[in-house]
Amino acid sequence: MAAIQVPTDPRLFRLAEGDETRPRLLGSHAPESGLSFWPRRLRCPVTRSAVTDIDLSPEGVLYAWTFLYVPRMGSISFGDTGGYGVGQIDLPEGVRIQAPLLGTTDDWQIGSPMGLTTFPVGRDDDGNDLVTFRFEAVR
Amino acid sequence: MATRLARDVYVIGVGMHRFNNERLAAAAMADVAGMQALDDAGIGFPEVGALYNGYLGGGLTSGVGIAKEFGLTGIPVTHVENASATGSCAFGEAVHAVAGGRVDVAMALGFDDMNRMGGLGRSGGRRMGAEDVMLPAAFFAMWATRRMHDVGTTAETFAAIAAKNWNHARANPLAQRRADHEVTIDEVLGSTMISYPHTSMMACAAGGGAAAAIVATREVAERLSSGRPLVRVTASQQRSETYTDGHVFLGAVIGPAQMTRDTAGDAYEQAGVGPDDLDLVQVHDAFPVEELVYYELLGICGDGEGDRLVAEGATRLGGRIPFSTDGGLTARGHPGGPTGLAQIHETTLQLRHEAGARQVQRARTGLCHMAGAGSVCVVHILQRTEG
Repeated sequence: MAAIQVPTDPRLFRLAEGDETRPRLLGSHAPESGLSFWPRRLRCPVTRSAVTDIDLSPEGVLYAWTFLYVPRMGSISFGDTGGYGVGQIDLPEGVRIQAPLLGTTDDWQIGSPMGLTTFPVGRDDDGNDLVTFRFEAVR
Repeated sequence: MATRLARDVYVIGVGMHRFNNERLAAAAMADVAGMQALDDAGIGFPEVGALYNGYLGGGLTSGVGIAKEFGLTGIPVTHVENASATGSCAFGEAVHAVAGGRVDVAMALGFDDMNRMGGLGRSGGRRMGAEDVMLPAAFFAMWATRRMHDVGTTAETFAAIAAKNWNHARANPLAQRRADHEVTIDEVLGSTMISYPHTSMMACAAGGGAAAAIVATREVAERLSSGRPLVRVTASQQRSETYTDGHVFLGAVIGPAQMTRDTAGDAYEQAGVGPDDLDLVQVHDAFPVEELVYYELLGICGDGEGDRLVAEGATRLGGRIPFSTDGGLTARGHPGGPTGLAQIHETTLQLRHEAGARQVQRARTGLCHMAGAGSVCVVHILQRTEG
């Protein structure tokens, strides 16, 4: 039986559900200002008005990227890949997300479509697979 | 609206322990910087009415402990911490303590060793998630790749800025990185790639050190001047972020770049000067893309024109508006707490015309800018007046 996948931080994202093919980042929307945010906010930081919980779109556009030539991200090892990519992705809700990137430098072009995905980073005390999120180029 | 400081404030003394990567005791370096500043001012510690200590590492009571070495005078001793902008904020608190009438003389003292601190990219107990990715190297590298896309900036331009700052530090005996030769663009480009397009010689020098500044009222400054030119603090401004398009809440190491434009605008208004009045500038050049962008955000040139300034050599010593005259964070170093006070030290020496081989000719007005992790931007403007 496959191990159960568990988000590293369920306040930030959830796994794909039902027919969904991609996970979702958990955001806030402020109807009064029309602005959306990630991570979730207690109130709109511009108008101080109420916010509601939303699931953000799982696809966006690459705004900027880099490749870090270090083998670890926090406690996550990237083995012999020589490092890892990091990007800023603009989602349709007007939210910019910073996250690791899947792939190599040849895969990333500013302005190109990107999709949210997950990857394993270890196991929790119950033996479940811990996963966190990153973006990949959409072909 | 940024109004003029309620009372005129002057820098009457500065001191600094050489920035280094030798794991020296921060308290010992702090003592050197503090005593130097007192000697430079020509006063004893009993004349200081308030002490603001800036440090990130070292523990909760380090600042009070160091103050006890200066003397048990009973003055208020306050710990200030605002990430990389810690020393700048400690200086700002000292300035406002004098401007607001709390005391006539105040001291700001920064000390730290960046090598003994935990890095950014961690928060709370989360150590496994994607939110851990944002090392400063990654964040500023993304400023760089986006600028390359928007403006056509090249890696050579970033390397030219870094090489300039390495070479400025060659004339600064207090700098951490002092090359024994003229550093070239090719040398910077050829150093180890750490986060595309940034190489190791483009990254700021983390290390240890200490720096101090003492500020006072006009009456005190004139009494102590002995004919030496006075250095007046004509602006002391600090901001956090406001909402911008593409706002990043998690992992934006120093907040939106717009903070620099806004804080500088406040400072220019308070001082009654503009970018064209500046003779030299110190900035948070943790990576060269920052210095490049700050040329524009500080109003030295128009948006997208910073690359031309580099090509023309305008920001080198001897150029139209020298930046990072002591080597900047790139080469003078960036220990944390003392970094912003090192900028005040450098600018004060320059405005007194005591900067030796790196002296900016006829320097009368200098601007110091620091950004700090989280959401901090601080700008001070210092101006020379005859005593």
